[in-house]
Amino acid sequence: MSDFPHYRNFDNISEAVLGFVHWAREEGMPISIQESKDALKAAAYGCLDTQSSFRYALKALFCTGPDDRALFDQLFEHFWGREKMRIKSRTTMKNASNIRKESPASLVWMGSGQEGEEREEEARKTSGANQQERLRKTDFGKLTQMESEELEEIATKLWQQMSLRLKRKMRSSPKGDKIDLRNTLRANISRGGEMIELRKRRKKPRKQKLLILLDVSGSMDTYSFYLLRFICALRTHFESIEAFIFSTKLIRITDYLNSSNLEATLWLLSRQADNWSSGTKIGACLLDFNERYAREIMHGPVSVIILSDGLETGDTNVLEAELKKIKLRTRQLIWLNPLKGMQGYQPIQKGMSAVLPDLDVFQSAHNLDSLLQLENLLLHV
Amino acid sequence: MIHLNLDAVSSPDRIISSFEQKGYLADEELATALFLSIRLEKPLLMEGHPGVGKTESANILAQVLDTPLIRLQCYEGLDVHAAVYEWNYQKQLLSIKMEEREPRSKRELENHIFGEDFLLARPLLKSISREKSPVLLIDEIDRADEEFEAFLLELLSAYQISIPELGTIKAKSKPIVILTSNRTRELSDALRRRCLYIWNDFPDFTKEVRIIQKHLPELEEKMLGQMVHCIQALRARKLAKTPGISESVDWASAMLALGCKKLDQQLAEKTLGCLLKSSEDLNLVRGTVLEEILSDISSGNHE
Repeated sequence: MSDFPHYRNFDNISEAVLGFVHWAREEGMPISIQESKDALKAAAYGCLDTQSSFRYALKALFCTGPDDRALFDQLFEHFWGREKMRIKSRTTMKNASNIRKESPASLVWMGSGQEGEEREEEARKTSGANQQERLRKTDFGKLTQMESEELEEIATKLWQQMSLRLKRKMRSSPKGDKIDLRNTLRANISRGGEMIELRKRRKKPRKQKLLILLDVSGSMDTYSFYLLRFICALRTHFESIEAFIFSTKLIRITDYLNSSNLEATLWLLSRQADNWSSGTKIGACLLDFNERYAREIMHGPVSVIILSDGLETGDTNVLEAELKKIKLRTRQLIWLNPLKGMQGYQPIQKGMSAVLPDLDVFQSAHNLDSLLQLENLLLHV
Repeated sequence: MIHLNLDAVSSPDRIISSFEQKGYLADEELATALFLSIRLEKPLLMEGHPGVGKTESANILAQVLDTPLIRLQCYEGLDVHAAVYEWNYQKQLLSIKMEEREPRSKRELENHIFGEDFLLARPLLKSISREKSPVLLIDEIDRADEEFEAFLLELLSAYQISIPELGTIKAKSKPIVILTSNRTRELSDALRRRCLYIWNDFPDFTKEVRIIQKHLPELEEKMLGQMVHCIQALRARKLAKTPGISESVDWASAMLALGCKKLDQQLAEKTLGCLLKSSEDLNLVRGTVLEEILSDISSGNHE
């Protein structure tokens, strides 16, 4: 709780307006100098006559989106209100969900923990021509600490190559050339306007959009780290990529993928989630997605990748219905399931079998090779 | 340059009354924002759910100011040629052929066929080349690509347009610019900063009743009350597409056309298509949900 400025502390109205601007800026509203000048002009135009018109005038000037409006109303009431009040500190105004404690599960997820001779033994048994080949085929869940470092190196290299290849193929692919009349005319002026040399215009390739939903629940623990790295690698190719993680709650992580330092990103992510490694409510999370984000994200050509083992603990009917909704609005719906890499795996868990008919692609994602196979799918996105 | 007659918009209160004469109920917030937009010569960005009357308010503003409305409907892939200008290629070609007899130098010819005579003005260029300021409505800007948004910045801040072959064209008179967005995509900060901002919400019960009365004065008051309660109850539910004001007016006119006096389950179900435009919503609402809402209304629980 802290004191806050009030219009009575100022000598005249102009100063009070500027005082308000100053304070609002401190509280996080981005108000430019031009806007504060405009506010003074608005006062001069007679918008001061009633409190409500003054409020609406400042609101139109200072707010830039629906999120600002609540904050503005609060600030306005305090500053221009009759009584001097006390205001709660800033953190409570913002969404408290931003701040969460680090959960112990994140340790497991970060790749340490869960080491055992048994796992090591299993990893060795995997056959392969050489160490690299072997690692590429090793299940992420069965790597030792040493191997995982090595694998990371290989993975970084391969993913870089992959995204480069994807880029190259994209560039040369678009066909359907159109004659560019403007440039043709220009180029042929020296020939008296006879159209000898045709200039063409390539149709602009439609922007690729990719939506990734990554399951980070307990059963996915050993995989989530690599899958997240994979998402980061894809980011370098797809300009507009949207990424979410989910287990019992859905969290948007698109902005965190932007930072170049992956370690920092991972750390941030582990702090974000209080529910890593608890049960999975895929259906509820997809419902949340459809309600909150679908309108914003799901227009134009979108491909969706869901990375999950499909071990649903919630209602499978919800899962099926919500996935159908997503399916309706996508070009390609891909489900990657690490469990599919296991020998003898059948998609018979109730979650997985419910959604299977809706999927365009159902593949494994348990080792590096299986992720690299995605390249072919994404090419035709 | 012909000056607009700004009497009808000389204060927020005047705006409210002159809008009401044209059949549009503006609240004080909207009126203040429009007033400031005109006085400060800044574009106004209106956001809100589809069907809350964003586009209509620009329409009415043009009527009130007695000036033409120039509308640019945005869509994915909208580019400069469709929005700002295009060269008249046929005319250019023809002209080149005609010039063949009296040869000009290459430079002269180029200057000739890329002159203003050969320019086709599209909405944005039109809006700044009028003698009398028009109202420029850039509708559903969120549907256009980000590149186009960047292009708008020059127009919105300096009221000028650059054409490579011709140079910069300055506005003869500044248009009154209104942008609308349904928030299917987040707009850039640069664009937001150049605009005044207003969020249009769905109207409350009394306002919606008044709006429908404005459009359909012959509708019976009791019936109208029931319908608006029903609409407001539907809006409170989670629907794929929430009905807007135009939908409620449609529904009311449907009732009027059918000559109905009382809202009941059967009637509501038959006409639900006026309000709900997706099969999911229809399936959800038909039956029990509608029954609940209607029984609430008849028992007076809505108060």
